[in-house]
Amino acid sequence: MSHRYRSTFIDFTAILLLGVAFLLITSSELIQSMIDLPASIYNMNTIFLSILIEAIPFVLIGVVIAGLIQIFITEEHIKRWIPKNRFMAVTMSCVVGACFPACECGIVPIVRRLLRKGVPIYAGIGFLLTGPLINPIVILSTYMAFGNNLNIAISRMVLGFIIAMIIALLISFFYNTSQLKTDQFVPSGSDHIHNSGSKGFSKKIFNVLTHSVDEFFDMGKYLIVGCLFAAFVQTYVSSGALVAIGGDKIASSTAVMMGLAYLLSLCSEADAFIAASFKNLFPTTAILGFLIYGPMIDLKNTMMMLSVFKTKFVFIFLFIVTTIVFSFLLLVQGLY
Amino acid sequence: MKFYYQQAFRAAILLLFVIFILKLHFTGDLLKFINPKYELLSLFGAAIFLILFFVQLQRVWGHAHHEHENCQDHDDHHHDHGYTAFNFKKVISYSIILLPLFTGFVFPPSTLDASIALKKGGMLAITNNAMSSEEEGLPLEVIEDDPTIIGDESSLPDNESAMTEEVPPTNDNPEDPNLYSNTISQEEYTKIENEMYNTETIEMTESLYSTYYEMININMHKVEGKKIKLKGFVFREDDFSANQLVIGRFVITHCVADAGILGFLSEFEDATALTEDTWIEATGTIIIKDYNGTPLPVIEITEWEEVEESDQPYLYPLTVEIM
Repeated sequence: MSHRYRSTFIDFTAILLLGVAFLLITSSELIQSMIDLPASIYNMNTIFLSILIEAIPFVLIGVVIAGLIQIFITEEHIKRWIPKNRFMAVTMSCVVGACFPACECGIVPIVRRLLRKGVPIYAGIGFLLTGPLINPIVILSTYMAFGNNLNIAISRMVLGFIIAMIIALLISFFYNTSQLKTDQFVPSGSDHIHNSGSKGFSKKIFNVLTHSVDEFFDMGKYLIVGCLFAAFVQTYVSSGALVAIGGDKIASSTAVMMGLAYLLSLCSEADAFIAASFKNLFPTTAILGFLIYGPMIDLKNTMMMLSVFKTKFVFIFLFIVTTIVFSFLLLVQGLY
Repeated sequence: MKFYYQQAFRAAILLLFVIFILKLHFTGDLLKFINPKYELLSLFGAAIFLILFFVQLQRVWGHAHHEHENCQDHDDHHHDHGYTAFNFKKVISYSIILLPLFTGFVFPPSTLDASIALKKGGMLAITNNAMSSEEEGLPLEVIEDDPTIIGDESSLPDNESAMTEEVPPTNDNPEDPNLYSNTISQEEYTKIENEMYNTETIEMTESLYSTYYEMININMHKVEGKKIKLKGFVFREDDFSANQLVIGRFVITHCVADAGILGFLSEFEDATALTEDTWIEATGTIIIKDYNGTPLPVIEITEWEEVEESDQPYLYPLTVEIM
């Protein structure tokens, strides 16, 4: 088939799709008038969409970076870059994560791609944990939210970094394999025909982008379900009631704040303000629990990790992170 | 030549995302979801979607064995390329991805209301703010009676003049001139602070609400007896007496999900007449009163009127440049 025909068809398809899209938009008012739901559903929908709208640019940047890694970085590169020594590898991954300004949704597709390229699981986890937790924007927003007080911001970074190191090292003792999910959608048949010969740069970029599209559709559904859960919790669960469980004890209030961080699934760049709104109700240890645990793992993030890792691994990971953050904070509570 | 309808479907979804974001942008509804500071970022997201859409279009029409031409890599392919047949699992996946598009286009965005204020901690959050009072507050140095710093609102940062075109000139409660940057220098911050302590009537304008709020709570004794003018929606806790209500506002750092509740416990005779979620504009005097054992800045309302929900229902925190 000649090339010209193909591009005509593509144009035609684009126009057709545009038409369908506009049809949907214009009829939306009509559908809207037919549906009548309680106000809380609209609130939940608003919160749901807002988390999604906020996350989408970061996720898209994440999938494009993942696409770039897929096409431009080879397994040989990875072998050369990652230190053989386990401790060194974990340290390096945590430091790279700390320098890399990511957020928790954007980082998941990147980590998946890195693991597929042969990065050891513990290094991937180190990167996953420090990426969203430690970066300039997070430091700045934490500093602002706590009445321009540097203490909390610095504690968040330092303790967070140590905790991430401990978790990644622990993972390195338990797991050697990638723990990646073998996907249900393995392309049918083994007719993977590859012409891995040299291709032009634009062809490579095109491949990066098609990979990004596939990655988006792969990850998008988990992101959406995660956002939906978080929105549900925010609409129907009262944080006041949760706080009441916490009481004055350091252990119980830390547990409650960590639980809250998990359920609310806030972006690490925006959670400091919410944490600050609890600063006088709870001891500093509990506040740090919220600030450190939230970026490492939360409800939305768990859903996204389920798209990448084996279910069993995700739950064990969740357990390890929870235990380590909790016990570490209780150990250092004397400092605050 | 073959038409891959699943690829076309994916292209349509990508396009719908682009249109959805642009629609929010052009109707101004985006402000009901995120802090305008991140508006550019969301447009950037739309741009990536658009690029992905054009890339995806190339895959809609292809030769029968076009499938894996694009796979340059080797054995690590474990995601769906959208060439395999539709099955039940895929129907679920695509339905999930279509869900936000459906609810986004069909349901009107709502403004967070009193019920959410309670879920966000309600009075608990408000009390917490007052507890920062004095003991751990910022070291505040108020330069008393410095004539150069009094009441010059117009000198506030308004470099983003582009914003004003959205504001009708008749509006006496203009949208925040600083809406899209919300950044002030340390110097300006101190100036705002001093202005507030020296003025007779504190006007809680949208741009300064959160800043003033913090200052009032930290130094409530310094503002006791001053007049205050504010606007917000009404909500109540179960343990309020009949003449009490909160005039509240939401402050948004990133998106509606991280909204925090700000507000003042207020007292006046007609309080019972007001239902929750009513927007009012009120004037009153700041007094200090205990609520469940915590001293709070409380407003004794002298004048009030019902108003329309503000065009800019949410507040955005000011960022103070520290460098």
